[in-house]
Amino acid sequence: MKPWKMKRTEKDALMSHGPRMEEVYNSIEIHHRITRGVHRDVETAIAVARKFNNEVLRPMYLERDLKHMEDHEFLSRDIIKKAGEWRFFTLFVPKLFGGQNLHFMALYPFIEEISSVCSGLGHLIFVHYLGAATVFPTMNMRVLQTIMRDVARSERRGEPHLIDLTITEPDAGSDAQEPLLINRGRMTSTMEKVKGGYILNSRKVFISNSRLSYWHLIHSWEDKNDRASSLTQFVIPNGTKGLSFGACEKKMGTLGSTADEVICEDVFVPDRWVSLRALDPFFKNSKKGSKWAVHSVMDFVVSASRAGVGAIGTGIARGAYEIAMDYARRKRVDGELLVNHQWAQIILTDMFRNVCMTRNVYMESVYADLLAGVFKVLYKKPIHYYMKFMPKWFFTLILPLLKSRLVTYIFRKYYYDWYTNEERNITSGWASFAKYTCSDFGLVNANMALDLMGADGLRHDAGAEKCFRDVKLQQIYESTNQVNQMNAFFCMVGNRHPEVEYFT
Amino acid sequence: MNAINVDSMAAERQAFADLARDISLKKLVEHREENDRYPFGPIFEDAIRDAGIVGFYGVNLPEEQGGVGMNAGMVSVILEKISEVDASLAGVIFSNAAALEIINAAMASTGDTGIYSEIKTLGTAPIAFPMYASPDEISPAMLSKDESRIFYATIRNCALGNIADYAVVPIRRKENQPYSYYLVDLKDKGVTISRPIVSLGLHGCPMVDITIDKVPSRVIGKSGEGKKYFSAMSDRMAVCAAAMSLGIMRGSFQDAMQYTSDRYQGGRQIIDWGQVRMMLANMAIEMKIAESCVAMACQQMDCCVCGWEKTAQAAAIHIGEMATRSCTDGVQLFGGNGYMKDYPQEKRMRDARHAQSLLGMVPLRKIQYISRIIEECE
Repeated sequence: MKPWKMKRTEKDALMSHGPRMEEVYNSIEIHHRITRGVHRDVETAIAVARKFNNEVLRPMYLERDLKHMEDHEFLSRDIIKKAGEWRFFTLFVPKLFGGQNLHFMALYPFIEEISSVCSGLGHLIFVHYLGAATVFPTMNMRVLQTIMRDVARSERRGEPHLIDLTITEPDAGSDAQEPLLINRGRMTSTMEKVKGGYILNSRKVFISNSRLSYWHLIHSWEDKNDRASSLTQFVIPNGTKGLSFGACEKKMGTLGSTADEVICEDVFVPDRWVSLRALDPFFKNSKKGSKWAVHSVMDFVVSASRAGVGAIGTGIARGAYEIAMDYARRKRVDGELLVNHQWAQIILTDMFRNVCMTRNVYMESVYADLLAGVFKVLYKKPIHYYMKFMPKWFFTLILPLLKSRLVTYIFRKYYYDWYTNEERNITSGWASFAKYTCSDFGLVNANMALDLMGADGLRHDAGAEKCFRDVKLQQIYESTNQVNQMNAFFCMVGNRHPEVEYFT
Repeated sequence: MNAINVDSMAAERQAFADLARDISLKKLVEHREENDRYPFGPIFEDAIRDAGIVGFYGVNLPEEQGGVGMNAGMVSVILEKISEVDASLAGVIFSNAAALEIINAAMASTGDTGIYSEIKTLGTAPIAFPMYASPDEISPAMLSKDESRIFYATIRNCALGNIADYAVVPIRRKENQPYSYYLVDLKDKGVTISRPIVSLGLHGCPMVDITIDKVPSRVIGKSGEGKKYFSAMSDRMAVCAAAMSLGIMRGSFQDAMQYTSDRYQGGRQIIDWGQVRMMLANMAIEMKIAESCVAMACQQMDCCVCGWEKTAQAAAIHIGEMATRSCTDGVQLFGGNGYMKDYPQEKRMRDARHAQSLLGMVPLRKIQYISRIIEECE
């Protein structure tokens, strides 16, 4: 008898009890699919970020932070310009859309690198890609092409047009982002259908980078009695009549990017700038319906964004570690270098461990996203190679085809009708894990750095206190860590048990 | 039970607590955000002056020197109440009280009261003191042979150095040698004071770096006895550090209770979500534990119970950690609003973390704590 020998059916039965491979071993699942080219892209992205940190960011980030403290309305336009010169706003955009074509997986380690020096800039760059990642799942190829090609053109001109995502309202924070809570929220934005478009009225708050952005993606809901089925996404460029910016928030940290109020007063949005309408007949009459589409699109967006928050949190944790290590190598305590005190060595080791651990968590989330989330189509090997090796002129040639309704129809079919509950749970659950684990451990590391540095750590010029202020935001935005815990419970923990109820 | 009503001095403690609360409400609440802008805005001179007028800088000053003649326990009552609203003013009072504790300890050891008369603003204006640094971190300095003149010294992170007229600073000749405390006239032309350091918290109690170049000085107490005076001061002021952390925690908790009752998410008041209640419960429990620890430490100090010093130090370290954790949750319960300066929670989180570093580097204090126990065992 050889008990370790079993038939495929028996193995499958065993694997279906308890966590399945594709639920918890994302890195193994993706391992055989990673091409050498992707590996090179990740390496390139990290190297470019390090070069930028050394040449641009490190010499000025603390001074810049002070400037923001002094004047909360100060805008980092020159930094954006500089980042644009380095092509940071199209670095991870496929050639198809006029970008530099580094693989999207490389974005996350890149953001970690930038955030290890200045999470404000990491946040600023990431929010721009979050905007791009919000248009992407609408699969509205016409809108996507128009925006992304404008971003690429403007970046070449030296005035990058950034994208922001405008969801939060004064009385609806997590409610506006969480599909399970959306119907209970107190959102006040309204939209009204008129000839040729919509009239939009809304007041959105805490919107990252809106003053610095050109393209604003604004969410509103067509049916206020059933918002969970009636999400509409508008694309509004700067200069649109009725669009204005209110108060610039005075934040504790992450000062390199702004948080603003975005006000729409009777803004007319033509039909062509509606990138997604959940009550569109395509979704409404599909097998899974509008509610599924709203839930899926929200999860596509937050799955990409929460892994990014994880990367920023990890970057801050790493920044705190590097600052503490540098300090410990210079500071003498009791006549001995701090780094040679055993208790200090343990603190530094724990900090380094936290960085490694959180990096693994956010990368697991990225893998889940690539396997089953918003960018899964880009990871199919034929498409990957096609995007990689076809020349730019070819994509310009086929542009009219991509803008056709047929392409949008096919992609929507693929992304919504064929999207499964399991895929959604894995990507969304891991994204929540990444978000709250990395931000929590980022805070732990910032605290440890301050512990180790004593009075010197409290000084702005030492850098550690900035990590402490910056990392707190990571626990709050993209839904609070508590809402993320509930989402992770919904997606990964309670989903196997029919008696479980959520948000009761 | 709290620090106010644990002993026979309850009436006096209550009076000081009421006074501190009055000052906080009248002088601090309204301009909290504005005051926190320092050094990018003006310092709250009025509040600092008023604290002197009502006698907060003379609470632990001996009666014969014109003070109230109370111990650090009474200072802790004031600090706790003020910290509920704005811990920066509490930091100012803390710095002054710590400097006075050094002088008091020196006087107790030598009987020389002359040092008090050298401080012209004694009891009415605060004294600067490097209240975050452990003396183990002092850089070596150059002194004249008779120690009547400091040829060259640098004092980093000295609280109130740009506001006070006098500073009490530790100075040693060489690394690993005993150190002494000196009284330095900050108005002397040989004293150079840096621009106020932008710091994590307690913005109204600014830190500066001081460079001393050929300045007459006076050693406080006996030369080389600095460690003894620091230890005496640190044990007493540990109660005050704990009280400050407690006050910040309480302010954060009270505001969190109010906000979570007012704010709706997910179709109900957020205080009705189980997860929010759990966070509030943790804050309430930690606050209650902190209250008990501070009360116990004060009582033991007042009664000179054997080992009260360890109780005080343990309370300061533990409550400091709890306060940081609790105030971080205080921000979280406010969501996005908690991160903004329009609400007091983010300031409390920074202040709590800042106050955790009072009296020195936390791990070093823990190492010293266990060293003390090991020495006693041996």
